[in-house]
Amino acid sequence: MIAAIRSELTRLRQPRLLVTWFGLMTLFALMINAIMVTFVSGGGSLPPGAPGVAFPSLVEMESPSGLMAGLAAASNMFGVVTLSVWAVVTAGDYGSGLIRLLVAAEPRRWRLLAGKVVALVILTAAATTVAAIVNVFAVLPAAGTAGISTAAWGTDLVAVVGGAWVNLFLALCVWGVLGLVIATLARSSAVAISIGIGYVLVFESIVKMLEDVPSDWLLGTILNAVAAGGTAAVAYGTALALALGYVTLGLIVAGVVYVRRDVTD
Amino acid sequence: MPVVTTTDLTRRFGSITALDRLTVELPAAGVIGLVGPNGSGKSTLIRILLGLIRPTSGSASVLGSAISSPAHYASRVGVLVESPAFIPGLSARSNLVSLARLRRLPLERVDAVLAQVGLMGRDREPVKRFSLGMKQRLGIAAALLSDPELLILDEPTNGLDPAGIVEVRELLRDLGRNGRTVFVSSHQLSEIEAVCDHLVVIRFGKLVFSGPMTEMLKRTREHIDITAEHAADMGSLEAALVAGGWSVTAVDDVLRVAAGAPRAADLNRAAAAAGVTLSRLVVAQDNLEEIFLEMTGRVDGELANGRAAVGGEVA
Repeated sequence: MIAAIRSELTRLRQPRLLVTWFGLMTLFALMINAIMVTFVSGGGSLPPGAPGVAFPSLVEMESPSGLMAGLAAASNMFGVVTLSVWAVVTAGDYGSGLIRLLVAAEPRRWRLLAGKVVALVILTAAATTVAAIVNVFAVLPAAGTAGISTAAWGTDLVAVVGGAWVNLFLALCVWGVLGLVIATLARSSAVAISIGIGYVLVFESIVKMLEDVPSDWLLGTILNAVAAGGTAAVAYGTALALALGYVTLGLIVAGVVYVRRDVTD
Repeated sequence: MPVVTTTDLTRRFGSITALDRLTVELPAAGVIGLVGPNGSGKSTLIRILLGLIRPTSGSASVLGSAISSPAHYASRVGVLVESPAFIPGLSARSNLVSLARLRRLPLERVDAVLAQVGLMGRDREPVKRFSLGMKQRLGIAAALLSDPELLILDEPTNGLDPAGIVEVRELLRDLGRNGRTVFVSSHQLSEIEAVCDHLVVIRFGKLVFSGPMTEMLKRTREHIDITAEHAADMGSLEAALVAGGWSVTAVDDVLRVAAGAPRAADLNRAAAAAGVTLSRLVVAQDNLEEIFLEMTGRVDGELANGRAAVGGEVA
């Protein structure tokens, strides 16, 4: 499988893909920190269930974890980008016809899929690192300008930064797997991105508005909880367990389809 | 031992039968041509041999291993299936490196195949800047990466300029001479005729012919193309010849008479007897294209009609 991973990593070294991916992570990290700090320092509060954002209170912002609060706040934006990249990379093999060469070279297709997943996970780790670094460099001047106290931000620095990185990374991997699964089924990046984003950000938001329907099992809710290290609605451990369940189920479905389906593209 | 054996190989796509109990053996070494009209099942056969799709029934083996286990022979087979497929944003070299890594090959092979297809020097350019012909060369380079015993190429001269076609022709000949088997599917019958030692013709997914090219070319016949001095005489000339028992077909602006060189003088006299002076009389041999068309139908429309006639199947 190492060969499949190295091969996939070579294909992923496309300048346009990496610049777009890491560039958008940078942009969103800068943007969310500017908005979040302004919002929090102004005493604003979001309506409950507002999709895609989880801004901290001023007290939380001034606590040690406030340093990395931007990562959780922007997790859905990062997630959309990650889902899109994983979908584009997966569907691209079908669209370009490259899948024919790959399967002919390595007929054990599960190895190809596993190699792709591992390679994308490695790059997702790199993208998470970019977001984390940009977040730190963005929030410090923003907080200073907005008058938010940063005195506590050096406390437990490694645990805070590492924890936030791990949480965002895990959430992004789930977003990515969602993109990969839909792209494998649809063999189209446009369809995969539309369905993925539409489901998590639109469909689930509508479901959440229905008071009689419990929403703590929904993927979007779970992903927000994983990225934030747990929320009032879903404990971190529960979120991780559910996310693992979603990922396992998704990879089994994608794996069966990937291995069994005729390559006619 | 044959490099490829199929027995009653059948593949259906819904109501369409792409391969219909195909049984064929391909000999080892040399260049083997696979020809057939559009929709005859060529690509389906190649895809089944490569493990890209599964047969509905029947069996096949490649290099002695059953197609149910393509991993057993994948490392010994190089492929170019339809149009070459690469990542446009990556350089030619990176595309090949990714395939070399997947096949666990030393990266020196990348340099070797780039040189072999004449792309050294352009190898660091993104593939999106390549012409179709250059992409085709890169596709052949990818197929040669593993220095395979069996090379399966689908339309390898697609998009190449005349010089490129000649180069690929020479390359295929060389590869076939060096103990390798090259299985090449092409619509360019002149290419097939010039390069192949063995020919497989399929139509409606069924085998029409499989044998040495020389055996196929033995089926060729001579014909005589004639043209009247005055175009207005062509109709009366055709009628007179038919009345005289000649087999005549109008092809473009000439009359094609099924006869060989020994009857050329008789034909000339028959025309003179009909009061027509010939401005041109050429004795020629049928080529592979003519035999192929006779075997498989002259046009795609004919093929489609044929399919409809044999059971509602459409190419």
